[in-house]
Amino acid sequence: MKLIAIIEDEPAIRDNYAAAFTREGYAVRTYGNRKQAMAACAARLPDLAVIDISLEDEPEGGFELCRALRSMSAELPIIFLTARDSELDAVSGLRLGADDFLTKDLSIPHLIARVNALFRRIEALRKPQTTGQTVQRGPLLLDGERMQVQWDGEVVLLSLTEFWIVHALARHPGHVRNRQQLMDAANVVLDDNTITSHVKRIRRKFQQLDPKFDAIQTVYGMGYRWVE
Amino acid sequence: MSLRLKLLLLGLATLLLPYGGYEYARQMEAALRDSEQQSLQAIAQTLAASLQGRSDLLYRIPTEAGPAPPGPKDLQAVPLLAAPFLDGYADEWPHDSPFRRVFSDGPHQLTLLAGVHERMAYLLIEVRDAHVVFDAPGADVLDSAGFGDRIWVAFTDASGAQHQYLVATAGPGPVRARRIETQDLGRQVAIDEPRIVGGWQPMSGGYRVGLRIPLAMLGARLGVLVDERDHRGAEPVSFGTLDRDSLAPLGRLLIPSPELRGYLAQFIQPGQRLTVLGTDQAVLSQVDALSVATVSDAERGLLPQLYRRLLERPDDMRVVTARAPIAGVDRRQTLGFVQIAETAERSLALRDKALTQLLDFTLITSALAVTLMFAFAAWLAVRLARLRRASESALTREGLVTTFPETNAPDELGDMARSFSMLLGRLNEYTGYLRTLAGKLAHEIRTPLTIVRSSLDNLESEQVTEAARTYLNRAREGSERLNAILVAMGAATRVEEAIQSADRSRFDLRALMASAVGAYRTGFPQRQFAAELPDAPVMFTGAPDLIVQMLDKLIDNAVDFSADGATLTLRLVADATQAVIEVDNPGPALGAEGRSHLFESLWQSRSGADSRPHFGLGLYIVRLIAEFHGGSAAALNLPDGSGARFRVLLSSTG
Repeated sequence: MKLIAIIEDEPAIRDNYAAAFTREGYAVRTYGNRKQAMAACAARLPDLAVIDISLEDEPEGGFELCRALRSMSAELPIIFLTARDSELDAVSGLRLGADDFLTKDLSIPHLIARVNALFRRIEALRKPQTTGQTVQRGPLLLDGERMQVQWDGEVVLLSLTEFWIVHALARHPGHVRNRQQLMDAANVVLDDNTITSHVKRIRRKFQQLDPKFDAIQTVYGMGYRWVE
Repeated sequence: MSLRLKLLLLGLATLLLPYGGYEYARQMEAALRDSEQQSLQAIAQTLAASLQGRSDLLYRIPTEAGPAPPGPKDLQAVPLLAAPFLDGYADEWPHDSPFRRVFSDGPHQLTLLAGVHERMAYLLIEVRDAHVVFDAPGADVLDSAGFGDRIWVAFTDASGAQHQYLVATAGPGPVRARRIETQDLGRQVAIDEPRIVGGWQPMSGGYRVGLRIPLAMLGARLGVLVDERDHRGAEPVSFGTLDRDSLAPLGRLLIPSPELRGYLAQFIQPGQRLTVLGTDQAVLSQVDALSVATVSDAERGLLPQLYRRLLERPDDMRVVTARAPIAGVDRRQTLGFVQIAETAERSLALRDKALTQLLDFTLITSALAVTLMFAFAAWLAVRLARLRRASESALTREGLVTTFPETNAPDELGDMARSFSMLLGRLNEYTGYLRTLAGKLAHEIRTPLTIVRSSLDNLESEQVTEAARTYLNRAREGSERLNAILVAMGAATRVEEAIQSADRSRFDLRALMASAVGAYRTGFPQRQFAAELPDAPVMFTGAPDLIVQMLDKLIDNAVDFSADGATLTLRLVADATQAVIEVDNPGPALGAEGRSHLFESLWQSRSGADSRPHFGLGLYIVRLIAEFHGGSAAALNLPDGSGARFRVLLSSTG
């Protein structure tokens, strides 16, 4: 049974999430502050961690915890789930190596879908690569099972939300995907600006590998499309 | 009324100063005049004292004239300015002299007037007589049958001896005086007296005779008797100042002493008139230097003359007079009076001098005060205007003011500016707080909302009855709406963040707008969209995502305020320096008072319920994006009043 650690200082939310994950068949441990979580994780590393940023008296406690967990394990999937939705927080969280940055608007079914997806990815990564789920679009190689993207043979490190956005765009090149479609694909409810900044971050990650990257095109007023 | 004008009027109040000075000068003048009067009185008394008992100086024959006041038959000689012609006309004589003596006897009337000039005495005799009868021509003067109207003149000489002279004529013209002497054997002869000359002339209702008698012949007494006859040779009716029988003079002839004038002359000053009067107020002698100017107008200068003209009152006394009685030797009688008149010129001149200085001083002071006040008022007005401009712009810039003028001034305006500045500071904090309130509130509500939603999510997985599911769905709908509200509330904060991390790129604004219009056509099928775009691409440096977001907000706004089927117009006008984007929508016109607030945070002008949450952030976001592009946003009404126009200015250089 997979063990999920929920580090959240609001007991009602914590217990609600715990109940949902338990129902899905996961083992759940919940912690209210960073100290408890650190002590428990040092004793036994969970299979996935859901972290809130502000923890009791530490407004940035979640970031600290993420950094510590990441140092313990490079593979541990970490999801930030927070009421803070500022761009800066998202950037900081993802830079610290989180696999996803989610706001608490997210419904529990969506959250569970993500957690399941992350576990699937870990399992897929452990298996040898198969071509069944892959999509090749020019230099882009999209691996649906491992939820991994390669550009010219190099892995682009995308968060889960970012992967799903790229996936939704690249599956049907030339088709405009509006923001709602992208949100649905990524299992998130986001406002326009957050989608915009996600796209911006995706472009930047591709451009770090290939400065000439411009496959994601903005169709003003409508959305985005993948061009080859 | 402006502050400047008010202070100017206030400054004019200093003109009361010259007025006060003028009143003071007038009082001073009155005091001066009073003292002048007193000193004049003292002079008069001194002069009178010097003449005490000196009837010899007053009258030519002092012994008799002195003590007694002039009787009714006394004649007092007028000092004549020139010798009169002895032609029987009264032209050279004073017309209204107080010395004129009138003697009446029934219908007859004799008027006498004596005068003296140099060493001659003059006598004017006027007789009112209905029947003028001349002597018979050629007849012996002593033949009583030829007697006509005759005049007797009698006087004493210096030694007191009496002399009688007869004046008779056979016709108008020169007359002679004759003395009647009784010679041997009682024969009477008429002897001409050549020293006495005269003229006879008829006048209406009578005749007039003028006579000249050398003073040397005259003593203290003199009289005139008229023999009036109805026809030649008739028994006469006699009347006059001679005894009818003895022809002795009944009255005195009082002649002012010729030395008196010289005596007075030594005391005279320019601008004065010295007069010695007899007991009957008749002028005995007068030395007149009244019209000798003490200060000439030319000396006085133009400005003082102007002042004098302004200040002169018609009742101004130009002459000061004083009078003192001359006592007799024994101090019991009064010989006459000394009267001194002096022009008030001296006190007037003093007044003028004081007034001139005072007026000059006060006028200069007033002018200076008015100028200073005006300058001060202007300065105040400038400062106030600066404050006003600052406070006006402070309000339009929604408390973005950081500096306020005049706050360093130490006066009350500075106090005001400081309190303004403080007030604005607080307002600034408050609006800042308000602006972030929505974001903060959204954040704070998010946690309890998450509790609600996650609980609902969990509840979905539980076995609930069909009836309970209804409530579950309602609770979910409610929480979804709450979530939508939170997203809307946080929108401005996220745009602010997006602006902070926005990247500028160079793009075609026209293509962007064309693409956006296409999206709106599909997004809002109930509205028509007209795009008025330039023919050529408009290259623009900015954040295209933000521009699109701004357009979205403008279109949202236009859709909300227009009816189904309405045509919304998007317009782009661009030149080298700026691009203007306009969105027109038919619908209600904008109120003047709300127009300036439309682009402020949390400003809500829409009325009526709407299922979507509105926080008045849409147009605030438009403004934020426009300002990020170095531009501005404005709301106007369409020229024909059929709707509203929102105009955004974007600077290409921004």
